[in-house]
This record gives sequence, structure tokens and C-alpha cells, in this order.
Amino acid sequence: MEKVLILLGCPESPSQTPLALYTAHKLTKMGFDVTVASTPSAAKLLEVSDSEEFYVTKKVDLEKCLEDLEEKEYDLLIGFVHKDAAVSYFVTFYHILNTKSYAIVFEKDPELLEKFLSDLKENTEATLISARAYHNPTPLRVKIDKAFKELED
Amino acid sequence: MSFCLELHLQQSEDYEILISKAGFKEAKAVIENHAPKILYVKPGAKVLGARIIGVPPIPIGIDESQSKITLPYTKPCHGTAVVELPVDKEEIDKVKAIAVNPQKNKK
Repeated sequence: MEKVLILLGCPESPSQTPLALYTAHKLTKMGFDVTVASTPSAAKLLEVSDSEEFYVTKKVDLEKCLEDLEEKEYDLLIGFVHKDAAVSYFVTFYHILNTKSYAIVFEKDPELLEKFLSDLKENTEATLISARAYHNPTPLRVKIDKAFKELED
Repeated sequence: MSFCLELHLQQSEDYEILISKAGFKEAKAVIENHAPKILYVKPGAKVLGARIIGVPPIPIGIDESQSKITLPYTKPCHGTAVVELPVDKEEIDKVKAIAVNPQKNKK
């Protein structure tokens, strides 16, 4: 079974937690072994939203995960990027893992969104899924569904 | 015992924060303008026992005369800070060993 690491950023954007649960569940149904790496605050949001661990069963602390991470430890990296620091974390995980990657990039400010996308294009070969989004996760959910079609094959 | 950056920042006051809550590019410029020598490392390289987070090439500032290192320190909710702290010469040698390009010496 192929292993996926979902990387969460700072949880202040309301779209992140529902999209993380949606993505984790979608990938689990597709047959992937899914692990979510997050800060303690992002983990608390997941724990309350998914108290029975129906959608996410494997959770790891972001810093601990990074400390021990090795090349090709996961077959797929999926990162939520909506802050400058999240770009740095995604690029760092991408370079350590050296594996197929998707960055889900969202920000309500179009200039910041463009900057995040430009930094990711310049420093990774990850597939970029992006939308101007903050409260509403639907545009990204639609784009995630479309992008992940290739994983079903 | 090897150096632990996290522990040092938690338990010691012997460090200086040059900038905090910054973007990575801003932090990178601070390091490049501050330190007498710059070494560059790959994202995820271990410096002072911690993974260095950022966009490549990541600068590590070296001040051999004062035996100090200046490096970016990123947290998901707080952005990037630049921290300068005293280290043993051995730690500077370790950074030299993992540097991905020749060091830049300022004029």
C-alpha cells in the first residue's frame, strides 16, 4: 500500500481542516495509507472534527516528523500552503522526500497567492492546486477532485 | 554532547533575534547582510541538531572571529526569525562540511 503524507500548515485558515479531512478520506478510499503531519493546534482541530478517527487514523507531530524524515519514506506528499512559512515547510519536505508531490495553495490576497505559487514553481516540480480561498473550501475541493483523478489510474 | 538548537533557545538567553515573524526572503536578506561569511545549505539540512527549513539555497551566517552562527528559524504560525548564537568551532566546521557551495566572503 502506497504511503501518503499530508502536511498541514498553521490552522488559522478555516478551509484547511475540512479540506484536510476530505483529502485524507478521499485518498484512504483510493487505497492509500494516509498520515497527517501537523502542529499541535492543527491536530486539536482534527481531533475535535473527527473525534471517532473516521477520516484520519494516523497523525504525527510536524516537528517530530520532520526531524526523523528520510528520502522516499512516503510515496506521495500533499501539502496545504497558505502562508509564507508553509511554502518553506513544503519545499523542505519536498526536498527531503524527493517524491511525487501536490501543493494545495490558497490565500484570499491574489498577490500573496501568486507569490506562493511562484516560489513553489521555482523550487519544486510539485503539481500545484490553487484557488483564491479562505472561508469557502468548495473551489479547492473541486480542483482536488480533478487533480487526483490521475491517482485513480 | 552535540548541540541542540531547540534546547538552547528554550533554556538559554545567550542568543539574539535579528528579525522575527518575517517572510523567508526577508530573513535570508538579513542573514546575507549581517554575517561576515555565508554558507548555503539544502532545505532539511541539519544545523545545530535541527532541520533547517526554507527555500534553497538557505544561508547560514558564519562569524569565525566571534564563533557565532546566524540562521533562519521557521515555525508554521509565526513565520521566519533570524537567530544569532555562539557555538563551538566544531559546529562551524559541521556547517562547512554540509555547505552546497563555496562560502561567500564579504569585502
